[in-house]
Amino acid sequence: MILLWSTILYYVPKWTVFAQAFLLLLIPLLLIPMFKMIRKSLNSSFSLKPDKYSPPRTKSPLEGIRMTGQFDKDVKVIRNAIGNQADVRFREIMIKGTKSRAVILYVEGLTDIDLIDSHILRPLMLQGVQEEQRNSFFHSKNIMKNYLTEQLMTVSELQPEPSLKKFVESVLFGKTGLIVEGMQEALIIGAAKGKSRSIEDPISEALLRGPRVGFTERLGDNTGLLRLHGQNESLVLTKFEVGNRVKKDLVLAYMRDIANPKLVEEVSSRIQKIEIDDPMESGYIEQLIEDNVLSPFQQVHNTERPDRVIAGLLEGRVAILLDGTPFALILPVTFSMLLQSPEDYYDRWLPGTFIRVLRFLAAMLALLAPALYISFISYHPGLIPTKLALSITETRQGVPFPSIIEALIMEISIEILREAGIRLPKPIGPAMGIVGGLIIGDAAVNAGIVSPFLVIVVAVTAISSFTIPVYSAGITLRILRFTGMFSAAVLGLFGVVLFFLLVCSHLVRLKSFGVPYVSPMTPYNISEWKDFIIRAPLKMMKKRPSMLKPNDSDRRN
Amino acid sequence: MSSSNTGPKENISTSQAAVMVINYMLGAGILTLPRTTAEAVRTPDAWISIIVSGLIVLAAGWILVSLCKRFQGKTWFQFVPEITGKWIAFLLSLLVIGYFMIIAASEIRILAEVTGLFLLEGTPIWAIVLPFMWIGLYLTLGGINCIARLYEIILPITLVFLVLALLLSSKIFDADNLKPVLGSGIMPVLRGIKPTLLSFTGYEIMLVATAFMKFPKKATRAVITGISVPVVIYTFTVVMVIGGMSINGVEKRTWPTLDLMRSFEVQGLLFERFESLLLVIWIMQIFSTFTVTLYAASLGWSQILNRKFRTFVFALLPVMFLIAMIPKDVTEAFKLGDTVGYASVFLFGVIPLILLLVSLVRKKGAKPN
Repeated sequence: MILLWSTILYYVPKWTVFAQAFLLLLIPLLLIPMFKMIRKSLNSSFSLKPDKYSPPRTKSPLEGIRMTGQFDKDVKVIRNAIGNQADVRFREIMIKGTKSRAVILYVEGLTDIDLIDSHILRPLMLQGVQEEQRNSFFHSKNIMKNYLTEQLMTVSELQPEPSLKKFVESVLFGKTGLIVEGMQEALIIGAAKGKSRSIEDPISEALLRGPRVGFTERLGDNTGLLRLHGQNESLVLTKFEVGNRVKKDLVLAYMRDIANPKLVEEVSSRIQKIEIDDPMESGYIEQLIEDNVLSPFQQVHNTERPDRVIAGLLEGRVAILLDGTPFALILPVTFSMLLQSPEDYYDRWLPGTFIRVLRFLAAMLALLAPALYISFISYHPGLIPTKLALSITETRQGVPFPSIIEALIMEISIEILREAGIRLPKPIGPAMGIVGGLIIGDAAVNAGIVSPFLVIVVAVTAISSFTIPVYSAGITLRILRFTGMFSAAVLGLFGVVLFFLLVCSHLVRLKSFGVPYVSPMTPYNISEWKDFIIRAPLKMMKKRPSMLKPNDSDRRN
Repeated sequence: MSSSNTGPKENISTSQAAVMVINYMLGAGILTLPRTTAEAVRTPDAWISIIVSGLIVLAAGWILVSLCKRFQGKTWFQFVPEITGKWIAFLLSLLVIGYFMIIAASEIRILAEVTGLFLLEGTPIWAIVLPFMWIGLYLTLGGINCIARLYEIILPITLVFLVLALLLSSKIFDADNLKPVLGSGIMPVLRGIKPTLLSFTGYEIMLVATAFMKFPKKATRAVITGISVPVVIYTFTVVMVIGGMSINGVEKRTWPTLDLMRSFEVQGLLFERFESLLLVIWIMQIFSTFTVTLYAASLGWSQILNRKFRTFVFALLPVMFLIAMIPKDVTEAFKLGDTVGYASVFLFGVIPLILLLVSLVRKKGAKPN
């Protein structure tokens, strides 16, 4: 009996082990609810309606007021409401042939002056109302309106508006307003025509082969580019209005008979939940509708290229275009998409495949190379070839820092260089790159701060990270690289493996609009792999990716 | 029992089920199997033992899956009560859960020992084990689907690196080390079956996985693929290790496969030694074994006690750690692993057969068509 007890006691772990077990439980118990809470509070702050407007918005004085038809009164009300806006112009005229006065309202810089001059002012002032019509005007107010719209004004966009508030809003958004004496409705003519730039090659996604077309800041141009891509009856463009204070148009694009209706529904419901004063750029939309706020990986793909959007739509994805930005959003996104470029498809399949394999390798290098350097130098010099280990140790002889500090110095300085390169004026950017990269690198080695081998590692890493075709994905890898370096510094090669497992665990848990982030890597499916690391010949890729559950899975349709 | 325990019903594909079995099986065995077999067989015929026990395991897996297929959409913890009644089922489920927990614990301990020996000398065990278990927890909380997806990512890496490393060892491979075939008759081969069977534990995950399969009818195919791949890999490993180091050389080493990797150098390649490669994939394999056993044990608790799954994932973590710390040294850790291994032969070889017969006689469960 005593023997039994003593064996049991012998095997009962020490109290330190119990403390460690407690720690093992405590830390995730604290961390996971914390992350959950952060995520919840982040999500709720934008998905709920603002409970009070602060400061309370002043009610428009025009609220609920309709046109009376009494010219002077109406114009006075409008002048009172918007008279202090510097850029609103009032042009009073007399319609020829009648004694009716009229006023044209427009915003300087937003309105097409040519349109006003030749299609509104000219017919009203020169042509006017014919003799025989004149009398009937006094009988009915509608006849005047009909005559003006049907026979006089040669414009395509024309809309009567009885509500003064809406009329004023439209004028302020750049449409031309016309008020005619005796009419109980004002006319809204034309569309806003602000300045826009011409269509250019997209800067952030330049290709050697492929259309040299990028989106612009105007939504109309962008949807036009999608339509222009080719005759296509199934392309649907649904319009939403987002923004509570500053209202912006947002277009949800998808292929009617390809996209999964559930996906479209989910995306539109998330768009409708957006509560924000002004969605400045599509990045706002992206951040307000994504699944996981805390993930370093982007869950929405952004692009400037119409061909990329169309390709996404044809795979069964949906796209979001926002007024005022050349960046369209494609969703859902998967990890493989971030390493693919439209060029892979435009080129023949062998070059496409080769470059893709190269990119996957480069991504691995960009993620792990400095971490592996640190772990091998600091922990396992025995695992690298003896000669190499010797030469590295020799060059590191003068370096006074441990390898993590050494690598951090280099990595941080190259990140700073890269960031500076974006801000620098174009002509001196490359020059500064050379100065920073070559000269500082060389000087750092000569000064004995870093070892030349590390300079090679850092340079290879930096160049590798440039091969990633999606800029924002490159940033993700850059952030993760630092995490990898720290885990290597703490636990060596084991730390690197753990880091890799953590990233993979996160990736397999991540979903973008219901689609697992790691598809098509898993589940194993040969037909999906034709467009993953390799890019099979086009003739072999007959199916659309099944992860999106498209309505029509045959790519030949 | 309500299915709300496991959250929304998740599906895994047939290939995912097979991959789960493969990843579960390929665990600590890669490093130690050549020694355990060589010790028992003492002739170069160890590889025949592995094939034979592989075939036995295939049969056991087939029986186990046939049992599971009769109860579609239900895990072991849910269908056993239908066959045996509540109390025996409770006992059986506890045994299975305990088995999963001890397997997880022993894998953790062996991981800590190997890492401490080869990669991080002087690092305390807890520093190695704690982050490892936290990442495992993070993955397991994602559910069986996430687990399966992760396994599908690490399996190709494992296979490529392992085959590459073993092929490179052909430099010191000597076919004479494998001769004579059956020189001492069939008896040594039979002696080797018992220890090798231990390395093939892993098909029992089908007790849980079958319930989640999208096409449960294909479970047999999944388990057969899942067992065949490790059989081929283990046979290949043992052939290469014994061929490279001879049967006498293998017996004396604790980690013969790692020693094989250390005993040759390939000039001109980026790496001259490949134990780091082998260790990397081995850590990943231990991770997969740990997470799947953690998942199975937590699911078991949550289903027999009808409580939330997440609670048990958290609660089992420190328990597994304490179990892992009980053995005083690596030999005892091996002993622990072996003991539960033998239990597995009984638990997953004999009991499913009995249950299958009972369910056939008592006409419980649906007939798989």
